[in-house]
Amino acid sequence: MSARLPDEIRPVMENGVPVVIATCSKDGIPNVSIVSEVFYVDPATIALSFQFFSKTIKNVRENPRASIILNDIPAGRRWVLRVEYDHSETEGPIFDAMDLQIEAIASATGMSGIFKLRSADLYRVLGVETIARS
Amino acid sequence: MAILRLVSPVRSPEPVARVLPGVLVQFLDRASVAVACTRDRDLVPRIHYVSGWQLDADQKSIWCFIPKEFTPGLQESLDDNRQFALTVEHIGPHETYQFKGTGVSLRPATDHDAAVVARCRGRFASALIALQAKLAGKSAVLERYILDPAVAFRFAVREIYLQTPGPGAGTLLAKLEEPA
Repeated sequence: MSARLPDEIRPVMENGVPVVIATCSKDGIPNVSIVSEVFYVDPATIALSFQFFSKTIKNVRENPRASIILNDIPAGRRWVLRVEYDHSETEGPIFDAMDLQIEAIASATGMSGIFKLRSADLYRVLGVETIARS
Repeated sequence: MAILRLVSPVRSPEPVARVLPGVLVQFLDRASVAVACTRDRDLVPRIHYVSGWQLDADQKSIWCFIPKEFTPGLQESLDDNRQFALTVEHIGPHETYQFKGTGVSLRPATDHDAAVVARCRGRFASALIALQAKLAGKSAVLERYILDPAVAFRFAVREIYLQTPGPGAGTLLAKLEEPA
């Protein structure tokens, strides 16, 4: 089961608005975090940064299913992605691009130097839907 | 900004509190955005946007006011496993905590709940405008992004974690006594 990201989602992924990610441990304890950005890799893959050991990082390595929400505030619309953790990369073009972007975001929010990218975590997209004010 | 650090990450065991610590009660009153999560029986997580939140009179459970677009899965969670997580952030200083616990009840939202949401909605818009000057004058657009509540979900807090971005994120700050 897989899905393709529509072209119109790319600007939302790059709008700088924080993203919500939900995961669940193998013991069944849910976890929800707000992260700075999700990265577009290709129409079937997104990436999240692994900067600190966190419950999200731990959870997806024992239960790969996750849910992500992207915010498009001007359009009053949220994008819901169902994803599955696939693998991590610690070098290469995806890693380098994310590293650069993270430092740019950190600098813009007064948190320069705090964040160091450990890996780019790649997720397969299983489903995409939008939620707008009804 | 007063970020709660009740215990250092290496100190153990964590303190067990009877009610939510006062600094967190104050935090909930100034926070500007919240999101929650449940999971199904297959351990697939589901996000629920929270339009407003309020500490219960018992001082150890929290009401989450959730729009209808994000209600799927709530009743199933209560019926199946009751596991619930709520992350609340004060936009701007990035002060963030995650409250984990057990679902207690679900009911339709009331006018009182809508009034609570209106206050949270105002804080959301104000926080974003303070963060980005270009948003000045767009308060109505920002407020509309926080949807009207359809249901009120109450959960009993079991654990509280620091989630402010940085190396301390994930630190267990306090546990609450289990209900008798």
